[in-house]
Amino acid sequence: MTATSIPPVAAKSSLLGKDQLKIIKDPLWDNNPIAFQVLGICSALAVTTRVDKALVMGIGVTLVCALANVTISTIRKFIPNKIRIIVQLVVVSGLVIVFDQVLRAYMFDLSKQLSVFVGLIITNCIIMGRLEAYAMQNPPGRSLLDGIGNGLGYMWILVVVAAIREVFGAGKLLGFQVVPQALYESGYVNNGLMVLAPGAFILLGIIVWVQRAISGYVEK
Amino acid sequence: MNTSSNGYVMGFAIGVCVVMSAALALTATSLKETQQAAAEFDRQKNVMMAAGLVAEDDRRPRAELEKLYTERVEEVVVDTADGQVAAGKTPKDVDAMKDAADKKRFRVVAIAKGPDGKPQTYVLPISGKGLWSTIYGYLALDGDLVHVRGVTFYKHGETPGLGGEVENPAWRAQWQGKSILDEQKKLVGVIVKKGTVDPSIPADKAHKVDGLSGATITSNGVTKFVKQDLMAFEKYLAALRRH
Repeated sequence: MTATSIPPVAAKSSLLGKDQLKIIKDPLWDNNPIAFQVLGICSALAVTTRVDKALVMGIGVTLVCALANVTISTIRKFIPNKIRIIVQLVVVSGLVIVFDQVLRAYMFDLSKQLSVFVGLIITNCIIMGRLEAYAMQNPPGRSLLDGIGNGLGYMWILVVVAAIREVFGAGKLLGFQVVPQALYESGYVNNGLMVLAPGAFILLGIIVWVQRAISGYVEK
Repeated sequence: MNTSSNGYVMGFAIGVCVVMSAALALTATSLKETQQAAAEFDRQKNVMMAAGLVAEDDRRPRAELEKLYTERVEEVVVDTADGQVAAGKTPKDVDAMKDAADKKRFRVVAIAKGPDGKPQTYVLPISGKGLWSTIYGYLALDGDLVHVRGVTFYKHGETPGLGGEVENPAWRAQWQGKSILDEQKKLVGVIVKKGTVDPSIPADKAHKVDGLSGATITSNGVTKFVKQDLMAFEKYLAALRRH
């Protein structure tokens, strides 16, 4: 939960000015919740066997993170300090349950496969972290952007991991065969490690490494 | 305003809870019908998957699959007490009896037909206790009513990755071709073994599938309820075999 202090903006800045864009862009790369803060790893390992699962999970986290940020930020001045974590949890779990119910109604197959992991968004450290570190101190507009940014930052890493795992583990991408049959006939086999959690762990490690090598981040 | 006084904290907590529960109740009730329709379609798809009418990852649109179900699958109600088809009862009647004491007496068998309209596979509902939950599934038998065509488990609350592996397509594929009767025509069902099946042992090869590692109780539960349910259907199946 690195609370990067963002300088207060002038009250009369435009809706999507430079500062606002920075709020969204920052968590995508420089302050990425997975690669930089190493949060939300548990679900990143569990739901990245297929790209469609990762996408739905990413959308869920983005929606919940953005809406929870806005809600908490709107009522931040009224929340008693003693019970603020509980209030945050109630808001987050409410939003997650709504998302789960909608999935069950309109994407039954995926909701079955994501099983407990949609419910576990409640305990995703990224969301709690953003509420505590950002929404409790900032106005709703900026909190919304921060929530979207962090959700997308989580989502793109998930999708990259899932794409690699699906291609090498199952020879498919989004459920369509991409590895040609001819390759299998000449002796190519799917990599079983990619289907299992350790494969995701290794991939995630490599992604964090590459991301940090490029962005030049050094642990202090 | 003193936001740390006990009265304020209490009031705020109650307010948050009331607003949240109202919002959740509203979502749940408004989505209920769509969810039930989705669950019913999932059930139909599982019947067709067990019967081999559709593949695991069939990408055809829902309307097309629903049409296929009405065309190729016929649901009949079987009275397991005498093994006869209970004339005059519909699957809806069976649903309505789910709270009755003898709720497992009348059961719905789905008969999947070939393009020529002749019965090809018989899909039997199976259900019973795993470790945490009741597992629901379908066991499809070939036209000879001895060999397994396929199996699916569509509703359960077992641990994902352990008992939840009953859904694993690779594991379920092992069920195909297993014989539910032994050489003396005695019912044995399909046995989920502890460990892996040794194909050099004839009894293993004919009746057993690999155990689910880390899920002994789920495995034993599946073995037990598959046999119980087959036993209940045995009168019906034996009558069909004589034809």
